[in-house]
Amino acid sequence: MMDWTAVILSLKLALATQLVLLPPAIFCARWLALTTFRGKAWIEGVLALPLVLPPTVIGYYLLVAMGGNSPLGRWFEALSGQTLAFSFTGLVVASALINIPFAVQPAQRAFEAISLEIHESAKCCGLTFWQTFRRIELPLAWPGILSAAVMTFAHTLGEFGVVLMVGGNIPGETQTVAISIYDRVQSFDFSTAGAMSLLLLGISLVTIAISYGMADRLMRRRRL
Amino acid sequence: MSLRLELQHNGPLLDFTAEIPAGQISALVGPSGSGKTSILRAIAGLLRLRRARISLADERWDDEGLHRPTRERSIGMVPQHHGLFPHLSVLGNVEAALTHLPAPSRRQRAMECVRLAHVSGMEDRLPSELSGGQRQRTAMARAIARAPKLLLLDEPFSAIDRSTRKHLYLELRRLHQQLGNTVLLVTHDLDEAAQLATHLLLLDQGRLLQAGATTEVLTRPRSVQAAQLLDIPNIFTGMLETSRSGRALLRWGPHSLRVAAGANASEGRIKFAVLPQNLLLVKTDRPWGSHLENPLPTVVRDMVTLGGEVLLWLQLQEVPEAQLQMRLPERAVRRYPVVPGSEVTVCIRAGDIVLLEH
Amino acid sequence: MRGRELLLRRLMPLLVLLVVATTAAPAAEIPAIAAAADLKFALSEIATQFKRETGRELRLSFGSSGNFTRQIEQGAPFEMFLSADENYIFRLAEQGRTVDRGRLYALGQVGLFVPHGSQLRVDAELADLRAALQEGRIKRFAIANPEHAPYGRAARALLESTGLWDSIEAHLVLGENAAQAMQFAASGASQGGIVPLALALAPEIARRGQFILLPAAWYARDPLRQRMVLLKSAGDSAAAFYAYLLQPAAREILARYGFVEPPESE
Repeated sequence: MMDWTAVILSLKLALATQLVLLPPAIFCARWLALTTFRGKAWIEGVLALPLVLPPTVIGYYLLVAMGGNSPLGRWFEALSGQTLAFSFTGLVVASALINIPFAVQPAQRAFEAISLEIHESAKCCGLTFWQTFRRIELPLAWPGILSAAVMTFAHTLGEFGVVLMVGGNIPGETQTVAISIYDRVQSFDFSTAGAMSLLLLGISLVTIAISYGMADRLMRRRRL
Repeated sequence: MSLRLELQHNGPLLDFTAEIPAGQISALVGPSGSGKTSILRAIAGLLRLRRARISLADERWDDEGLHRPTRERSIGMVPQHHGLFPHLSVLGNVEAALTHLPAPSRRQRAMECVRLAHVSGMEDRLPSELSGGQRQRTAMARAIARAPKLLLLDEPFSAIDRSTRKHLYLELRRLHQQLGNTVLLVTHDLDEAAQLATHLLLLDQGRLLQAGATTEVLTRPRSVQAAQLLDIPNIFTGMLETSRSGRALLRWGPHSLRVAAGANASEGRIKFAVLPQNLLLVKTDRPWGSHLENPLPTVVRDMVTLGGEVLLWLQLQEVPEAQLQMRLPERAVRRYPVVPGSEVTVCIRAGDIVLLEH
Repeated sequence: MRGRELLLRRLMPLLVLLVVATTAAPAAEIPAIAAAADLKFALSEIATQFKRETGRELRLSFGSSGNFTRQIEQGAPFEMFLSADENYIFRLAEQGRTVDRGRLYALGQVGLFVPHGSQLRVDAELADLRAALQEGRIKRFAIANPEHAPYGRAARALLESTGLWDSIEAHLVLGENAAQAMQFAASGASQGGIVPLALALAPEIARRGQFILLPAAWYARDPLRQRMVLLKSAGDSAAAFYAYLLQPAAREILARYGFVEPPESE
């Protein structure tokens, strides 16, 4: 037996997080890779917080920020008629926030690896900012961006603590696979829990294997 | 159509004013850390200086409150490590500089540049599949793609092996003949500058020491610093006097040398230099003649054969601190053997004694 | 542009379309019902029957009543709440989040559960438990968290009234809700626990150990007066379910799981 609702919800959450998080993360990574300024370490530290903070701490602050009594929560409710916390949208917001380091750091490393000489050559070739970004930087940073996407995807599929606190356990809305497994174990429904765990394991393995293989191939082509 | 520069900066220290003549290959020569790469990058617009005035012909590139971005300058640059885009083929790299052209003419122009730079046949290869020399040629093809008025080369041959380098020198000269643009080459290698450039600028610690035609600068340094930079070993101190007949005389210990002094040469202590190849060996079988100027008695202290040349270290008699370095082709020594310890007379033409200002 | 990169670039727009299409229609029409963890098996059965009879679907969430109350206060979109402690319902009613003060639907009961292989033996006076504590045979004992689970509070009241609390407190392992306490007790992770009757009666749990019901008087201080209420946002399906729970078919299922029907006067 399998809780397909939870599986589909988790996949939707993972994909939605990618769409929301990756474009700004790419630009942020590029900005951090190419500029230095006082206090840069602080900014990088803040962005890396989700790596070290316990999920429950993050969940607590997110609830405070997004809950029904918060300004953000009330504004969202006025706008859409739905609450932000305990909704799929709220999960996407939370998921995007906690995945920031997973999205920014690999991409930042990839942009940093593009030498200054290449940037300067691009300028000397007469390329504009966008031309350089599209034709030179993105293709060279592609493995890092792919890595960021994969890490975010896998991490979202597995996220538990924050999802439980911010989303609750509402089937079809916020009950992801990870929570459903937790739920099933409590009900002694080990067959479903086992089946879902295996499926999650399989999806994660396949995703990571494919993308690491692709990234490796791309890296080999680029090495000089 | 010359390039006019007035550059001032603090880190690295720069106080450089120069004019690069149009249509020639000029070399900017100096030791590491002298700021030559910074100057090149400032000209390219890649480095913002504290104060900079740069203009090419009537185009102002840098001035008070004005900075034209690199993109809008008519330049092509070959950086020290080629700077090729690793994910694009040779043709792709050259086409990257031609986005202002529509696709079909872009390819045509790119193929043309590839041909001019002698990398035909490599169009589809990636930079990782090319040799060092081929990469530099590709970088050159890309640099000339936009038909720039100014070509900037940042020590482009430093990482290339000697035999390939010779080919690249030839190709650069031929390319320059065909294109006729202004080329500024940055190098720390004097020989390279001597072979490639018709105009030479000597740089040390961010300051211009001397600029002029290559042969002029190499043979007639104007200052002690320039002479040291040019690696001229024979720098000595003497006393400049005017003889009763109005001619300029240089007193060197007990010896008096005739020199060709300029009108504004002042009397007194002066430093002077002689190029090793300008010391002439007086052959023992030839009679003494008045056409031999400034004879000097010396003792041979040391002798080393290096690459077809013989280097001699001579001790000037009665001036113990003066050790002259002399250079002779090997065949000359074979005909008139010289051994350490023997006494030889050398002479220097008056015009070959270079008076140095401090 | 090499082959695989091209493929990925072509796939991306399709993926985007897929996500947009599927997220565009949330399952908001099916009401979300929050229920105390002890109702896990009973309510699921009732809901299945409800769907068979009326064709209406429900989304059930089980957890601790205290937790749900907090979530509802923060705006969680539940349409109906079945609490194991009526005080939570009253609190929500005073905040104006409910349509009325709800209705007592059952009285919950607890007992001692001992998994197979445990060194503990069940008996109605908890004599063996007392002895086991003295002899040090008890390493861990499971109850729900008294902070926010009514069944935890009831367990605590029970242990205090029987004078066992002080000696057992150090060995307690707290479940986040009554169902997790049940899981701790039944999985053999502890020597036993105070758990809801409703869960102990479920076949998949019953076969894992022994259970004995304990007198309600022992936890009269924190009785399990299970109350349900419709929240302000309740729609037709939720209201229909609310009514269904009071009918004989549902009552029969509740009774089978040991829920005592509340006296008529209430």
